[in-house]
Amino acid sequence: MPEFSPGLEGVVAAETAVSEVDGANGRLIYRGGYLIEDLAAVATFEEAAYLLWNGELPDKRELDDLRHKMSAARRLKDAARGALTSMDPATDPMDTLRTVVSAQGAAKTLTKPTLDEAIALVAVVPTIVAASHRRQKGLDLVEPRDELGHAANLLWMKEGTEASADRVHWLDTYLVLLADHGLNASTFTARVIASTGSDLTSCVVGAIGALKGPAHGGATYAARTMLDKIGSADNAEAWLQDQHAKHARFPGFGHRVYRTYDPRAKILRELAKAAAPELQKTAEHTEEVALRILHEAHPERPNATNVDFWASVVLTGVGIPKELFTCVFATSRVAGWTAHVLESLTDLRIIRPASIWKGPQPGTKPVPINSR
Amino acid sequence: MTSEYVPGLEGIVAAQTAISLVDGANGRLVYRGYVIADLAEDMSFEEVAHLLWYGRLPTRAELDSLTLELAASRAASRALTPPAMATLQALPKDTDPMDVLRSVVSVQGIEHKLERPTIPLAIHATASFPTILAAFHRQRHGLEGVKPRADLAHAANYLYMLNGEESPPELVRALNTYLVLLADHGMNASTFTARVIASTDSDLASCLVGAIGALKGPAHGGAPSQVMDQLEQIGTPENAEPWMRAARKRKVRFMGFGHRVYRTYDPRARILKAMCERLNPTFYALASKVEETALMILHEEHPERPQATNVEFYSAGVLQAIGLPKEFFPPTFAVSRAAGWTAHVLEQVANNRLIRPQSEYIGPEPRRPVPLAERG
Repeated sequence: MPEFSPGLEGVVAAETAVSEVDGANGRLIYRGGYLIEDLAAVATFEEAAYLLWNGELPDKRELDDLRHKMSAARRLKDAARGALTSMDPATDPMDTLRTVVSAQGAAKTLTKPTLDEAIALVAVVPTIVAASHRRQKGLDLVEPRDELGHAANLLWMKEGTEASADRVHWLDTYLVLLADHGLNASTFTARVIASTGSDLTSCVVGAIGALKGPAHGGATYAARTMLDKIGSADNAEAWLQDQHAKHARFPGFGHRVYRTYDPRAKILRELAKAAAPELQKTAEHTEEVALRILHEAHPERPNATNVDFWASVVLTGVGIPKELFTCVFATSRVAGWTAHVLESLTDLRIIRPASIWKGPQPGTKPVPINSR
Repeated sequence: MTSEYVPGLEGIVAAQTAISLVDGANGRLVYRGYVIADLAEDMSFEEVAHLLWYGRLPTRAELDSLTLELAASRAASRALTPPAMATLQALPKDTDPMDVLRSVVSVQGIEHKLERPTIPLAIHATASFPTILAAFHRQRHGLEGVKPRADLAHAANYLYMLNGEESPPELVRALNTYLVLLADHGMNASTFTARVIASTDSDLASCLVGAIGALKGPAHGGAPSQVMDQLEQIGTPENAEPWMRAARKRKVRFMGFGHRVYRTYDPRARILKAMCERLNPTFYALASKVEETALMILHEEHPERPQATNVEFYSAGVLQAIGLPKEFFPPTFAVSRAAGWTAHVLEQVANNRLIRPQSEYIGPEPRRPVPLAERG
């Protein structure tokens, strides 16, 4: 039996053609062999999702067909609406998303995951995210519009007015960039659940639960909170030095896989200049100081900025409040989760690892309760 | 360092644990050092849950205190908060009870937001599963909900809330044994799911809904209801061999046989088999014949493989004897396994590291995308 690698670091848990994180070279490759920076320049989220599911970019007709299917699936079923309205409006949006997705997918009989189910699940997530936001604000819900794309619909349903083309573009780029990322914890969760022959909703609900963790999807929120605390560029040095002295980690820095600058962070860093010019200045200086401190402390470690740091700045520019960051991450990543589940079906084998026994030697006889 | 890809992570160590040991080579299941056969007959589910959570069997005083805590959490007001009740009522009556459990456990978790998993939260969640399931069962049959009784234990309360009356002691005892036997089982897929979710520092409800989703799969907790389906199709002991030989020609799998870890007879199956013989003789007559035939055919096909009966096979007969409808078999498995899931989550967070394995890319080499206008 091989040795125990905590966190399964370095352990290969799947073969996949959906995406590849080439950490050594700082490359993220999406299905079909496309580098993320090439794809982000030409594709919308719908095209990227199509690619992750089908292995090829869609032509005009295929894309129209996908948009059509998504429009038809954006509305909540009665059970999902019931679950949504049952909750206190102040509920954590990720808890709302987890619950409403579960109710939307509740069914009489178990079905094998299909592409149409994947499309429907991806389509309905912005509806739930926007509804969660409006309920928190005490506002009436806004119905989706069939002629709007995915990113535009999310902003429309969130705000009830049409967003500027720039804001839609920034959000759409974010959604393309975050749509998949190898065997991260939430995607792996989805694949483990799929491996038992379970349904697609169960896989996605589990993945939402994993993404909710601060060590995973919660990191964008943490990065934004750090920038809030720093407040302005001239405070960065003092704040970061103080945190470093307390051995606190800097949210938005370091990644298990990338040994160089995260290619997604690079794109978002550029986008931030137009999307959130004020915050970008603070962030840029914060990054410079943070990298210097980290390098001085651990010159041997590659301590590059990760995607969460610059995503928090761009999403702010899009007008997304930080309480919704993890949900917007889920809006993107659900494309990857479903693509991984569909891929895993071609050679389904239950994921059931081994464990090392650290308990008492087997065979102790239990003492009856009255003698304990 | 990157190891070679092993499908299903078979044999790959994903955790260190002191909760349970599946000693497949010797056909032993061990909870915190105790062999399952030593626990199954005399322990209550509550004692075993205490063992899994705290690492030792409770004293009388500890058991009394745990029983009180479970009773308080089981009360409808805490097990079914108003949003949970509203969600339950919004789900169609014919919804798979596993989907009900997944949705209601999720909505119930909203009050804890991102609290770190703790033993009190584990107790509360474990206590609530039977209340949720019984409330749904009563609702779908148009019956009034039944409040739990403070004087009844976990197994007895579950049946009481489902049926609106106390069950015979023999059946309560059978359900209790079932709940003890299934409470934990090493790094199975649903427990592993819960640990992966816990490793991101997420909350207990998130871990549990993920685990419920994994347990739902036919290759995991969904199997006992499929055992029942298959036995119904076979119908009579005389029909076992002809039906099963014909089924194999169509590549149909026999449900309830084979296990990744056990190389000998599953110790839980042995106990459940004896219970079945006593409690459900009709089922037993058919099932034992089907078992004998299945093992014979599987051995003929693959003499080199250990093809023992697994826990799902006789679970079906025991749960049927207890009076549960077959769509309640998987969620009743969850009622038991909730103890193990929560114990594993607590163990994971006590010494945590994000579970983030690697994948091997098998797609095409990098190339440039063609803009939409030039495609097609």
